[in-house]
Amino acid sequence: MSRNRQIFLGICVVLAFVLQLSVMPQFKILGVSPDLILVVAVVVAVQEGPVAGAIVGFAGGMLQDIASPQVMGVSALTKTLAAFLAGVMKDFFMTYSILLPVLLVFLATIFEMGMNQGALIVLGQEQLPPFKISTIFAESLYNVIAVLIIYPFMKRFRFPQKEESIALTRPTKG
Amino acid sequence: MPAAPRSNRNRIILIVIILLCVTVVTLYVRESDKGPLHKVQNFFLDLISPVSNAFAKIFRPIKDGVVNLFHLPSLSKERADLQKQVAELQRERIDTKEMEQALSEMKQLLHWTEGQAELETVGADIIGQSPNNWQRLMIINRGASSSVKKYMSIVTEQGLVGRIISVGSRSAVVQLMTDSRSEIGARDQRSRETGIVQGNNGETVRFTPMKEDADMKVGDVIETSGLGGTCPPGIALGTIKKVTKRSSGLTRYVEVKPFVQFSKLDKVVVVITPEPESVILREAQ
Repeated sequence: MSRNRQIFLGICVVLAFVLQLSVMPQFKILGVSPDLILVVAVVVAVQEGPVAGAIVGFAGGMLQDIASPQVMGVSALTKTLAAFLAGVMKDFFMTYSILLPVLLVFLATIFEMGMNQGALIVLGQEQLPPFKISTIFAESLYNVIAVLIIYPFMKRFRFPQKEESIALTRPTKG
Repeated sequence: MPAAPRSNRNRIILIVIILLCVTVVTLYVRESDKGPLHKVQNFFLDLISPVSNAFAKIFRPIKDGVVNLFHLPSLSKERADLQKQVAELQRERIDTKEMEQALSEMKQLLHWTEGQAELETVGADIIGQSPNNWQRLMIINRGASSSVKKYMSIVTEQGLVGRIISVGSRSAVVQLMTDSRSEIGARDQRSRETGIVQGNNGETVRFTPMKEDADMKVGDVIETSGLGGTCPPGIALGTIKKVTKRSSGLTRYVEVKPFVQFSKLDKVVVVITPEPESVILREAQ
């Protein structure tokens, strides 16, 4: 991954965090808002591999944990694992269609929300039974809509490595 | 083979991240509300509150426009209902004025003086909401610097919104009464039956009466009872929407529709009350 691409991904995480915290709560549908940080982490996992996705998931999740009233570290952990698994699962599919990130975001959301809730129950932070399938399903669908916008946008900003650009130049005569 | 070391490096990175997360979670859960990680969290909440405030102000008109668009079909029915309510309220107003007059005359006769002091309040703006869909929390732009403390009640002119569960210097976290962890002492305004109102992350809350044969009817107003000492008594919560009974006919629980429309909340009021004794004792332990 080129340095420019790393900077771009860093900006994407911070942007997703700012939008998640300030704009998304204003656009809740059925009491649910999309999880932009998770969507960005899964998209990075699809485009750059599971470890890059995990790092983005960790950074975004930790930012979210620090700046919001919830148990610190839980979102970071669940987003790390969700993005990593999405990156691993990507290798099982031989397609570059946009349907791949759509499917992976859908599955990663279900996994992340389930794990987040499970972790809070284990930590004694959540009383039973607020676990609603409708909430999980609504957020998954909302995230799918978000990935349809985010994935093509992030795909456009692929910065070539220096070696690649040299290889593409026409050889000089003589 | 370059693939093997790279794969090992990836594995190490993943393990380090997971260990780091688990360590942070453990430290956070084990420390008190005044621990270093909580302090960091409160500091960042204070730091981002002006930004959230600005964004909320920018996007609220857009959100209101979208919400109104969705509610367009029900607006005409709502208008008719409101006109009916206005007519009823006007009749009630006349009755109330007469009763007020009678009451003041009786007070004068009994030399009765107002024993209760007016509640002290502080106005606040909603500047953020919980990013997590499992919680029903809001962040307000008032904190310890405005004398706001933990467990103080948040109200609007419609009724109770919730309670403060965490306080920073210039911001505070409000747990809405619809949050699944919220439990508030309440009573039926008509029959005075007491119980507990619990949230379930939905649009309604659940009132469980202390007595199973409690006298409760659809349409009754539920208000805070003041028991537990965290909420002042007499703040309206909502109206009974449905009474669920056991096969034996005894009341199991009651579904209550809150008066407050949480999706349209913009400004709230913090009721400044002394810290309840139960809380002081619990924290001293």
